[in-house]
Amino acid sequence: MTVPSVLDVRRLTKTFPGTTALDAVDLEVRDGEIHALVGQNGSGKSTLIKVLAGYHTPDPGSEIRLAGEPLTHSNLAGHDRLRFVHQDLGLVLELSTVDNLALRSEFLTSAGRVRWRAQVRRTHQLLADFAVDLDVHAPLSAATPVQRTVVAIAAALAGWDGGAGLLVLDEPTAVLPPGEAAHLLEIVRGVRARGTSILYVSHRLDEVLTLADRVTVLRGGRVVATRPTAGLGPETLAALMAGADVDVGYRAALPPVDRNPLALTARNVRGRYLDGVSLEVRQGEVVGVAGLPGSGAAELVPALAGAVAGADGEISVGTVGAVPVARANRLNLPIVPSDRLRDAVLPGMSLAENLTISILGRLRRGPGLAHSRERSTVARWMADVRVKAASERVGIDTLSGGNQQKVMLARCLARDPDVLLLADPTSGVDPAARQAIYELVAERARAGLAVVVTSADVGDLLALCTRVLVLGNGRVVRELNGDEITEHTLIHAMEETGQR
Amino acid sequence: MTNTLERPAASRPPATERVWTRWATAVSPRSIGAVYILVVIVVVFSIALPSTYPTLATVKQVANGYSITALAALALVVPLATRTFDLSFAYVMTLSGVTAAHFVVHGMSAFAAMLLGMLVALVIGVVNGLVVVVMRIDSFIGTLATGSLVQAFIIFFTNAQIISGVELAGGFSQLAQVQIVGLTGPAVYAVVVALVLWFVLEHTVVGRRIYAVGFNPDAARLATIAVDRIRFGGLLVSAGVAGFAGLCLASSISAGSPTAGTAYLLPAFAAVFVGATQLKRGRFNAWGTLIAVVMLGAGTVGLSLSAAPNYAADMFTGVVLIGALAATGLQRRRIRRG
Repeated sequence: MTVPSVLDVRRLTKTFPGTTALDAVDLEVRDGEIHALVGQNGSGKSTLIKVLAGYHTPDPGSEIRLAGEPLTHSNLAGHDRLRFVHQDLGLVLELSTVDNLALRSEFLTSAGRVRWRAQVRRTHQLLADFAVDLDVHAPLSAATPVQRTVVAIAAALAGWDGGAGLLVLDEPTAVLPPGEAAHLLEIVRGVRARGTSILYVSHRLDEVLTLADRVTVLRGGRVVATRPTAGLGPETLAALMAGADVDVGYRAALPPVDRNPLALTARNVRGRYLDGVSLEVRQGEVVGVAGLPGSGAAELVPALAGAVAGADGEISVGTVGAVPVARANRLNLPIVPSDRLRDAVLPGMSLAENLTISILGRLRRGPGLAHSRERSTVARWMADVRVKAASERVGIDTLSGGNQQKVMLARCLARDPDVLLLADPTSGVDPAARQAIYELVAERARAGLAVVVTSADVGDLLALCTRVLVLGNGRVVRELNGDEITEHTLIHAMEETGQR
Repeated sequence: MTNTLERPAASRPPATERVWTRWATAVSPRSIGAVYILVVIVVVFSIALPSTYPTLATVKQVANGYSITALAALALVVPLATRTFDLSFAYVMTLSGVTAAHFVVHGMSAFAAMLLGMLVALVIGVVNGLVVVVMRIDSFIGTLATGSLVQAFIIFFTNAQIISGVELAGGFSQLAQVQIVGLTGPAVYAVVVALVLWFVLEHTVVGRRIYAVGFNPDAARLATIAVDRIRFGGLLVSAGVAGFAGLCLASSISAGSPTAGTAYLLPAFAAVFVGATQLKRGRFNAWGTLIAVVMLGAGTVGLSLSAAPNYAADMFTGVVLIGALAATGLQRRRIRRG
C-alpha cells in the first residue's frame, strides 16, 4: 500500500448498442512491471486500449487511476503518464526516421526554421538506447519491421526521461518474424530497466510467458484471471483464453458423412497468407478452419466466397464445374462475414430489408416488388432463426448483436445454399444467441447443408465441427476428426504451428 | 409460465393501433418538417403581403418557376441514393439545351434535335460512369472534372454566344411552354418523374438494391448485388433526367444559353438533401425532394415579392441547406450509436 499502482482500472464497463464490450474489468499494473494483456479476437482487448487512449468513453461507474490520480475522460488527452504504441505504429513510412521522430515528439526550431542538424543529433540520442543500426535519413519504408517498431517506441518515449509512466504496447510483434520478435523483447526489457512500466498486449503466449511478470486474461469482455507468469504454462494460459465457459460443452453431434456426395471442392487457394490450400467438404459436414493469426485461417473462408482481392485458386460447388475463386461470388455460396458491421449490416435499413436483400430476385411480381410475399418470407425466417424484435419494420441498428447475427444468418440461408461459409459466427453475440446459432447451423447440417467455419473463438469450432483443418504458414498442417477435436488438441495443434 | 419474449413477433399491437401509430409517425415534424416550415413561410408572407402573396398567381409562380429546379433535383436522387455525387448534372443540362437549340436553328425538327440533346447527355452519363465506377475516381472530384470538361466544350462549341433564332419559337418552345391544367409542361413532367422514381425506389427490386449499395456497398456486394452496375446506372439516370431538364430549360427561354444550367447546381443539391430529411429519413427520395423544392420556391417567391434584396434568395437557400444537413448529420450519428 505504499507506492500506488501505475495504472489501476476498476469496474471498467463499455457497452455498445447491442453488445457489452467490457464488463466490469479490473486491471492493475504495478510500478516497474511488465503486465501482459491477452485474449482472443473480440475479447475486449482493443476496446480496453481504446478506452485508455481516450477514443471510447467508458460507461459511468468505471474508474481509471494513473499513479493514484483519477483519470477522467476530459483530462485524458492532457495526461502524460500513459503513452501508446499502437499496432499500426502510427508512422509515416514515406518519411525518414528523423522526420517521424520530429513529428511524434517535437520539432527543434529557431525562429520558425527547423534546426535539422540538432534534430538529427536528437534522433541519434533517442535511438541510442535501442542498439539498432539504422540510416536515420532513409525513408522508413526501407527499414525492417523491427526497426520501425523501435522508432515507434522511441517516439512514444521521447521526452520521458524519468520514465515514470506506463507504456502500452499493442501487439508489437504481430507482424514480426520469430527471430526479430526476440530482439524486440530485449528492447522492451531495456525500456522497463529504465523505469517505465509496460502494458503488453499480445496473442503470442510464449512471448507473454517469457516477458511479462503478470498476465491478465480477457474473455468475452470479462477478466477471467490475473496471475503471475511464474509457474504458468502455455497450455493453462491458452485454456484460460479459449475457455469453454459459453456453453459447457455443447456439441452438434452430427451423423457421419463419409458416403455423402461432395458439396464443395477448393483447389490450391492462394492469397496473402494462403500458400495453396485445398479442401473437400461433403454434404452435411461442418468443417472448421483453425490457426493462429497470420496462419491464413482467417483469410481462407472469405477467399472461398470470392471476397478477398488477389486470392486465386479454383472452387466448385456440387457438381458444377470449377471456377476461379475470384468469381466465387457468382456461385450460390453465401458467407456470414467476420466483421458484421463493416461487411454485412445495411445500417439505416429495416430488419426485413436486411434479411431479404440477398433474395430480392425471387420477390419480383411483374415490374415491382411483391411486398406481401416479402412480409410472409420475413415472418417465416424470423420465426425460423428465432429473431426477437418488435416487428420486421424496426431498424437493424436497434437489434442486439445476437439478433443482428441471426438476421445475417437468415439472409444467407434464405438463398437455399448447399454450402454455407461462416467467419467468426458468434463474435459480439451474447451466450444465449450463441447457443441458438449453434443449434441452427447444426439443424441445417443434419438436413444436408455443408458448412465451412472459421473462428478465432475455439469454442465455435468445438461446438460445431466434425472435422477441423489447422493452418500454419498458409498450409494445412493438421487435420482433426470427430473425437480428436478437443480444446486441448486444437489449441496444442495451433500452438505447434506457431513455434515453427 | 409462458415466456412472451421467446415468441417472435407475438407482441404486435392490434391492427387499428398500428394504423394510428403509422399515421402519427407519417405526419410528425420529424418526418415532414419541411411541410411545417412551408406552412410557417406561407403564414408569415401572407400576413406581411396580404394582397400579393396568398394568391393563385403565387402558387403558379412556384409550380412553374421551380419545375426545372425540381427536375434537376430529381436527377440527383438516384446517384445520391447510391452515395455517388454527380456534380456534372448542371453542365449536362446546359449541354443538352445547347445541342438541341443548335440543331433546331440549323433546320432539324424539334423532336430529332431533342433526341440528339438527350443522346449527348447520356454520353456524358457514360463518361461519368467510366470515371467514377470503372476508374474508381472519387465521384465528387470525378464528376466535377467531367462537368468542367463539358463546360469547356460548350464554350468552345458556342463561342460563349447564346444560340437563338426564330426557329426556336416554334415546336421547340412547346416542350416547356405547353399548358396542362393551368401548369406549364415541366411542372407536370417533374411530378411524372417523381412518380416514376418513387415507384422504382420504393416498389421494385432495383430500388431496394440502390439503397443497399448506398448504405453499405461491401455488404451489398457480399449479398450478390452488382454494385458497380448499379452505381453506373445511377449516373446514367442523373445524366438522362438532367438532359431532359436542360431541354425544358432551353425550350422555356427559347434559346441555347452556354451557362444556363450552372444556376441550378446549388438549389438542386439543396432540395435533394433537404428531401432526404423528409418522409423517409436518411434516404434520398422523390417526394421529399419535391416537398423541399416547393418549400424553397415558396420562400424565394415570398422574398422577391416583398422586395427583399436579390441576394436574399441565395441566403435563404444556403441557410436551409445547412439546416437540413445538420439535421441529417444528427440523425445519422444517432443511428450509428443506436
